[in-house]
Amino acid sequence: MHFMNKYTVSAIAAASVAVASMMSACHELPDYDNSAEGNFDALWTLVDEHYCFFADKDIDWKETGDMYRSQIRPGMSSKSLFAVMSAMLDELRDGHVNLSAPFATSYYRKWWSDYPHNYDERIIQQNYFDFGYTSLGMADYGVLLANVGYLRWPTFDSSLGPGNIDHILASFSMTCGLIIDIRDNGGGQVSNANDLVAHFITETITGGYIYHKSGPGHNDFSEPYPVKIEPVGNGHVVWTKPVVVLTNRGTFSAANYFTAVMKQLPNVTVAGSVTGGGCGMPVSYELPNGWGIRLSSSPLIDSQGNLTENGVSPTEGCDVAMDPMAAFNGRDTMLDFAIDYIVALASR
Amino acid sequence: MMAAFIAAASSLSASEPEETLLRPVTAAYTIEAGSSHLADTYLSPIRYTGWSLGAGYSRMQAMKFSPEKWVMAFDTRVAAERTLNRVGNATMWYWGLDLHWAMMRRVRPASGITVGFGAGAGLKAGCLYSQRNGNNPASAKAALTIDLTGYVAWNTRVGRLPLTLTYRPSIPLTGVFFAPDYGELYYEIYLGNHSGLARMAWWGNYFALDHMMAVDLHLGTTSLRIGYSGQFLSTKASDITSRMARHCAVVGVTGEWLSVSPRKKISPKARMIHALYE
Repeated sequence: MHFMNKYTVSAIAAASVAVASMMSACHELPDYDNSAEGNFDALWTLVDEHYCFFADKDIDWKETGDMYRSQIRPGMSSKSLFAVMSAMLDELRDGHVNLSAPFATSYYRKWWSDYPHNYDERIIQQNYFDFGYTSLGMADYGVLLANVGYLRWPTFDSSLGPGNIDHILASFSMTCGLIIDIRDNGGGQVSNANDLVAHFITETITGGYIYHKSGPGHNDFSEPYPVKIEPVGNGHVVWTKPVVVLTNRGTFSAANYFTAVMKQLPNVTVAGSVTGGGCGMPVSYELPNGWGIRLSSSPLIDSQGNLTENGVSPTEGCDVAMDPMAAFNGRDTMLDFAIDYIVALASR
Repeated sequence: MMAAFIAAASSLSASEPEETLLRPVTAAYTIEAGSSHLADTYLSPIRYTGWSLGAGYSRMQAMKFSPEKWVMAFDTRVAAERTLNRVGNATMWYWGLDLHWAMMRRVRPASGITVGFGAGAGLKAGCLYSQRNGNNPASAKAALTIDLTGYVAWNTRVGRLPLTLTYRPSIPLTGVFFAPDYGELYYEIYLGNHSGLARMAWWGNYFALDHMMAVDLHLGTTSLRIGYSGQFLSTKASDITSRMARHCAVVGVTGEWLSVSPRKKISPKARMIHALYE
C-alpha cells in the first residue's frame, strides 16, 4: 500500500505538471466579436500587421483607422459596414487589396482608371491581322506586315509549356524582331512570368528580389532574397533578336514584374506607358463574419532594388500613348511605334 | 491482416538450464472519429471547428535486454480533418501523419497495475490547407521531437470478462519543428530561401500532448479496444500562433501476436512476458 501511495502521488504530481504546462503553453489566439466593431477591428489589425507598403506610401494607418472607426455603429447593416471598410482600404491605394463579401468585392480602381486605356484588342485583330492570327492557349501570335513577330500574352494566370513557346518563337524565325504585347495583362503567377522570360536569356539572371514581413511592425522586414531565373533548357528556342515589350497602365502585378525583368535584358525595349505596378505579393485572411481580405504582404522589387509598386517606366524615349484619332481610324500608334522601332533597329 | 512479427523467443545457451522467454507483441489496429479544432494565424485569425477521422496502429513489446523491466512502444496514426470557420463559409483541412517510438521502464506497484515511464522520439508531418487563400493556402506542420511518455495499465475483470484499462500520455520535451517566418510565403521557400525554417522546440514555443485512454475487452483471442484519443498542439514562432486539438472516440481490435519458427520448437519451460496484458 505504501508503494501504491508513492506511485499515486507521483502520477498525480506528473499529471498536475502536465496540465499546468498545457494551460501555460496555450499560446494566445486573436479573438474578435462577430459584430460591426469586432469585424472592423479584425480588418484594421490584419492590415496593420501584414500590409507591407505603409512607409513607402507614407500612410498613417492609425489615423486612418481612427477616422473610419468613427463611422462604425453597432448593428449597422452589412452593406454599410462593407462601404466603410472598403473606403478605408482604398486609402492604401493598392490594386492588390480586396475585401470580399457575399454581395460584393471591393477594388481600388484608380491605379488604372485615372489613366488612358491605351489598348484596343479589336484594332489589332482586325486591322493588323485581318483576324488571321494564330491562337495557342491564352496567347495569340502572328507575323506583322513589316516582318515583325507579334505575341499577345494577356495573362500570367496560366502559361504555355516550353514546347509551345518554342513553336511560337520558331514561327518568328525569319522576322527581324518580336513585339510582346502585355497591355491589360493583369498578372497571375510570377513563376509563369519566369517561364516566359526563360526563353529570352542565355544565362541565369536575377529577376528581382523578394522580401517579407518578419513581424507585425510596419518596418519589420526580412532581407531581400534573389529570384533567380534560369534559361530554358537545351533543345528549346531562346530568342536573342530585338524585343519590344508593349505596356499600358493595365499591365499589373506579375506582368509588372515581367516588364521589370525584361527591361534589364540588353535586347529588350519597353515601350508604351508606365505599368500599373502591384509589386506586393498578396496574402489572404478573413474576418469573423467570413468576409475575405486580400492584401500586399511580400514586396517583389526589381533587380536594381527599386520598388515597382507604382509601375515600371518605359525605356527612355519610348513613352508612347495611343492616339485616339488614329485608333478611331483603326491604327494602334503604340504598336506602330514598336514596329517602327524594331524595323529601325534591323536596318542599322 | 496481421503482419508477421519477428521471432520473439530468446533462448539461453544449451549448456544452461534454459528458460526461454517469449515476448509477444501487443498490437492494436484502431480507427478514430471525433471533433477537430484548428487555428493558425498564418492562414486566418479565425478558429475552425469540424470533424476528424483517423486510423492508428500501435504495438508494445517487452524489450529483449530486460524484458521484465523495459517495454518498447511504437505508434502511428494518420488523420484527416475538415473544419469550418465560425460562419461556415470557408473550409480548412488538415492531413497528418504521426509516428512515435518509445522505451519505457515499467514497475508493478500493485497487483494488476503496471506503470511505465520513459522517453521516445516522435515525428509529425502534416499540412493545414485553407481553400479560400491565394498565396498562403497551406501551413505545413513538421516536427522531430524527443518525448516524455508513459502509461498506466490495469488488468482486471468485470464479472467474468477480463479487461485492461490503459492510459497513455506523451509530451514532446524538445526537438526541432518547421516554422516559416512571420509573412514568408511558401513561394519564397520554393525559391530557395530556407534560412530559419527549423526551430528548436521547447514548451514555450511548442507544446503538444498526445494521450489515449482505452479499455481492451478480452473477448477471446483478440480483444476489442474502445476509448478516447486526444491530441493537442500549440505552437508560437515568428508571431505565428497555431493551435490544433482533436478529441476522438477510438474503436479497434487488439491482440497478442507471437512469431515462431517451425524449425525451432518452443521449450516447455518457455515463459511469456507480456507488454501490456497479464
